[in-house]
Amino acid sequence: MLKKALLKDSIKEIKNSYKRFISIMIMALLGVGFFAGLRATSPDMLDTVDIYFKDQNVYDIQVISTLGLTNEDLEALKNIENVENVYGTCTQDGLIELEENEIVSKVMTVEDINKPRLIEGNMPQNMNECVVEESFLAGTNKKIGDTIIIEIENQENSNGEEVEYLKQKELKIVGTVQSPLYISLDRGTSSLGSGEVNYFIYISKENINVDFYTEIYVKVKNSEKYKTGTNSYEKYVETIKSNIEEIKKEREEARYQSLITQANNKIIEAEQEFNKQKQDGENQIAQAEQKLQTARDEIAKGENEIISNEKKANNEFSQAEKKLESAKAELLKNITEFNSKKQEAEQGLATAETQKQQLETNLNSINAGLEEINVNYNQILAKLKDPNLTEEQRTILEQSKNLLENEKLELENNKQTVEAGINQIITQTASIKQELANAQTQIENAKIEIPKQEANLKSQKTKVFNQIEQAKNQIQNAKVELQQGETELEDSKTEFNQKIEEAETKLIDAKEKVKEIENPEWYILDRNENTGYRSFKQDTESIENLSLVFPIVFFAIAALVSLTSMTRMVEEQRQELGTLKALGYNKFQISIKYILYSSLACIIGSLIGMNIGFQLLPRLIWKMYSIMYIMPDISISFNHAYSSLGLSLIYICIVGATMYAILRELVHQPATLLRPKAPKLGKRVLLEKITPIWKRLNFSQKVTIRNIFRYKKRFLMTIIGIFGCTSLILAGFGLKDSISKILPYQYEKIFNYDIQVTLKSSLNSEQIQNIITNIKNNDKIADIIETNMLSGVAKKENNEKDIQIIVPNNNDELNKYINLIDYKTEENLTLNNNGIYITDKLAELLNVKEGDTISIETTDEETKEFKITKIVENYVSHYIYISKDLYNESFKDDYSTNVLLLKDKDLNEEEQQELSKQMLQQKEISTITLTSTLMNSLNDTMNSLNYVVLILIVSAGLLAFVVLYNLSNVNISERIRELATIKVLGFYDKEVYKYVSRETMLLTIIGILFGLVGGYFLNFYIIGTCEIEMLRFPKVINFISYIYSIAITLIFTLIVNAVTYFALKKIDMISSLKSVE
Amino acid sequence: MSYIEFKNVCKEYKMGEIIIKALDNTNFSIEKGELVVIVGPSGAGKTTALNILGGMDSITSGDVIVDNKNISKLKNKELIKYRREDIGFVFQFYNLVQNLTAIENVELATQICKDSLSPDEIMEKVGLKDRKNNFPSQLSGGEQQRVAIARAIAKNPKLLLCDEPTGALDYKTGKQILKLLQDTSRKEKMTVLIITHNAAIAPMGDKVIRFKNGKAESVEINNSPTPIEEIEW
Repeated sequence: MLKKALLKDSIKEIKNSYKRFISIMIMALLGVGFFAGLRATSPDMLDTVDIYFKDQNVYDIQVISTLGLTNEDLEALKNIENVENVYGTCTQDGLIELEENEIVSKVMTVEDINKPRLIEGNMPQNMNECVVEESFLAGTNKKIGDTIIIEIENQENSNGEEVEYLKQKELKIVGTVQSPLYISLDRGTSSLGSGEVNYFIYISKENINVDFYTEIYVKVKNSEKYKTGTNSYEKYVETIKSNIEEIKKEREEARYQSLITQANNKIIEAEQEFNKQKQDGENQIAQAEQKLQTARDEIAKGENEIISNEKKANNEFSQAEKKLESAKAELLKNITEFNSKKQEAEQGLATAETQKQQLETNLNSINAGLEEINVNYNQILAKLKDPNLTEEQRTILEQSKNLLENEKLELENNKQTVEAGINQIITQTASIKQELANAQTQIENAKIEIPKQEANLKSQKTKVFNQIEQAKNQIQNAKVELQQGETELEDSKTEFNQKIEEAETKLIDAKEKVKEIENPEWYILDRNENTGYRSFKQDTESIENLSLVFPIVFFAIAALVSLTSMTRMVEEQRQELGTLKALGYNKFQISIKYILYSSLACIIGSLIGMNIGFQLLPRLIWKMYSIMYIMPDISISFNHAYSSLGLSLIYICIVGATMYAILRELVHQPATLLRPKAPKLGKRVLLEKITPIWKRLNFSQKVTIRNIFRYKKRFLMTIIGIFGCTSLILAGFGLKDSISKILPYQYEKIFNYDIQVTLKSSLNSEQIQNIITNIKNNDKIADIIETNMLSGVAKKENNEKDIQIIVPNNNDELNKYINLIDYKTEENLTLNNNGIYITDKLAELLNVKEGDTISIETTDEETKEFKITKIVENYVSHYIYISKDLYNESFKDDYSTNVLLLKDKDLNEEEQQELSKQMLQQKEISTITLTSTLMNSLNDTMNSLNYVVLILIVSAGLLAFVVLYNLSNVNISERIRELATIKVLGFYDKEVYKYVSRETMLLTIIGILFGLVGGYFLNFYIIGTCEIEMLRFPKVINFISYIYSIAITLIFTLIVNAVTYFALKKIDMISSLKSVE
Repeated sequence: MSYIEFKNVCKEYKMGEIIIKALDNTNFSIEKGELVVIVGPSGAGKTTALNILGGMDSITSGDVIVDNKNISKLKNKELIKYRREDIGFVFQFYNLVQNLTAIENVELATQICKDSLSPDEIMEKVGLKDRKNNFPSQLSGGEQQRVAIARAIAKNPKLLLCDEPTGALDYKTGKQILKLLQDTSRKEKMTVLIITHNAAIAPMGDKVIRFKNGKAESVEINNSPTPIEEIEW
């Protein structure tokens, strides 16, 4: 019954003082809401990623090798204990040419591991299809159904043969996906395009044309029992990792051997080919030379021939001319001769005529003689015939006859002779005549013939000489041709030599490369090596850190405020307490009402708070992070641990405060309690003793100051509340300032270069020099420095940190590109050979100071000890600077330039991109990092942190509001008589307000001042707690942030004051003054 | 027309469903410089009438005229001004600001008034010259009430309203306070209203108004008020 009455009383009390109840509720709500919500955010985010990873069957361990992986590797991995399954997959960077630009894309295959999450459309069904990420469509203006062409560098198959990587380069986009491997916006770097990977693409497995794997994903047994990111998961995976570690060496060796064999075979083949080619080439050249020689000989022969022909022709012609000349002369002679001969002949003819005539006369005489003889003879004959002739007659007749006959014969002979003579003369004459005629004709002929011959000769000569000329020309042409042939030969010879030389160097290189074939190295990575996952985890860690600090502030203030509130409530009901005590209720029974009251406020507030907190804060923070992460929506869970912890904490704070207030009163006797509590006595304050100051104050100032010191608790509470609020806001702004300074500090203050060029590791020193000269000659490059950058691990005792080692080629030059600034004295330093310089965060993490020694392990697994000479400022990741001499001394002359730092000639970003693209075409360059691009991409990440800052500011403001409102209420209630009195005295509303607000303002100002100091330190504390390992948050707070903090606090104060103003206006003088004091 | 006129004044309070008439058609008038004693039992409406006259409460109907000003028609700000310039209030429980010394309590009033009196003089007048720098808690009840009176009259008000000024004081001290009030009325020609449940002190007033059940039952004019020293109770 009693209890029922008490409960009734409690509820009535709540009704009557609902404002107080609500304000306590709100404190509980804020405290628990913030605590639970903020605390739950990090686990919720991890839950989300855990569910996502489980849904998409994300790998536990990734094995990549510097030289590719084979099915044997796959088998070996599968046989390892606790390995559930292994998946060999292929990933390459591809270039996609678009109208305006080209983009670089990670090309992955759809597998059962790391399954992409389908957002729209379908998964690729065949090798002609692909899916892209959503931003790909937005960024390229493509849509589902469009086709793209992906160019991927040819790959060397395991038999050493170069093949196309894809079977089908033209792919149709059939859907959009999210990839669990790329939850952040970072897509990594590539040696293609501008060096930055823009997007990822998933293609069908069957489209892959190579027979090796670029990576093997391992799924461990029972992984579903673990939550990703938890210690137990990481420990478990670590054990399997170390199992893999055990087969690593063996597999590396196997791969190495097969590669060596392969490469050697290839070299032999190449050598044979080379030799054959060389032989062929040489033969060809020899043949060509032979041909040329013949041609040359022929030309020479031809030339000789021409010369002799010419000579001959000249001779012949001159002879012919001479002949002709002599013929002409002869003709003339002949003519003369002929003329004289003709004369002679004519004389001869005349003589012959005379002779003939003589002879004819002779003949006639002969004939006459003959006739006489004949007649005589015939008479004789006739006489003879007379047979009676005596012999002597006969003999005389016979003698006469013989004589006659002789005579006749002689005559006959004579006649014949004469006749012959005549005939002779006739023939002679005829022949002479003939001769003459002949000679005449001859001469006539000759006369015609000679000019003819002359003409003939001339034409002949022209012809012959023309011919000769032609021949000469021909020779000339032949000579030109020969010349050409010779040059050609010479050219082809040089070419051949070059080619041979090239081929030879190549061969030598290849041979050297074989020797250089590094032992392939396996990298056994877990999820923490996935950039997206890692940065996500880091972000959850910084939220976790934040969630540790802020709720504490909230709790502390909530406890203080509810203490004030409840104390006031108990004080107001002192008499009731006294009455109850007098009536014989025990302490518990009396206090139960207040405990009920505060418990109800506390529990209701907490329940509302945790529900809002669990829903709102993780979602809000997720919303902000979703700008940076591409993942399914957050999975919110009601976190029982944090909710009960939060509730108990706030319960202890509020109900504890109530208990304290009540027990403090209940120690008094009922009689004391029944008497009104003596009002706080007026007292002179210390300041009054300092007359010079006190005198100067006007009446209301004096009153204000005295009042402030009169209500010390409220004074403290207000200052603490405002202090908390201002410091939270300042810390928030400070955090923002700090974050916004990281990049400029790192990439403008510390790193001064514009472009970082990473060279391929296979280059020899000559090639390196060439590329450096090449870059130096680029008119867009202002300056260049060579460095050797390598990653390593810095160790000190049990601490190990991944680091980047920078070894400059020249210590002095380095200062132009990287400012080495002493982290304490801000002094500019130059690297020397006395020891190494390490960055400050690293020093902090390793817990070392200047003069200490740390050991550095390089990727070659060499460990050396170094003395730290200086610790330098740095903001992003860890660096160790070692001078070239010291480095060479320690790592046996291992320096080799692999990174060039460049300064451009004030190019804008676009020009830089262009330059980078152009430079990447040089095959010696592996990657190009533009400082500007780097800053941009990191900037996005940094910006999202600003939202966290916003949450801080809003919540701090809210807190300030609640605190001030509460205190103001307490203030009014505590001083209601005083306020009513001054109202009765005729103070205007404004004056009453000022009477109170002067105090509040003064306290606010004091609180703000303390808050600025507190915020300054809180900021550093927060920076310290939520600083990511890789980052150093600069300790800066911009001046404007102080202003903002002051202004925001003042605005909240003014809002509360406005509320107070109306509360004061509403004070009822009569009822306030009626009761007994 | 009198200096103060209460004409058909009604004051009703609503307490849930019930309407309580604190003043039911009350009429009385007071002349300038009069010392008026209002007597009546608890709940008769004396305090309500005084509060209304002091500009601290509103009326439901009727008119309250003070020095030709109908204060029942005044707006809030004008009411404050009226309180500030024309009214001095003395309460049963003094209502001094604990955090201010005696003289500072007086100064609290004077600093908002145009033609206020010198706090020091007033302190001397009320006989607290030597104690003016003490805090209320260091003063006796009578002294505190003197400070309250000093604070009220320092404003040089047209009306000095005293609600049971001796209610919390012993006989002797109460007498001294009443004496102070009577002297103030006489010397300063101030109009003073004193509420008391003690009918015995009624003869000290120039006018005695008796309240009963929310009405001014009777208004007596006392042409020869008794000096307070002569009143015994």
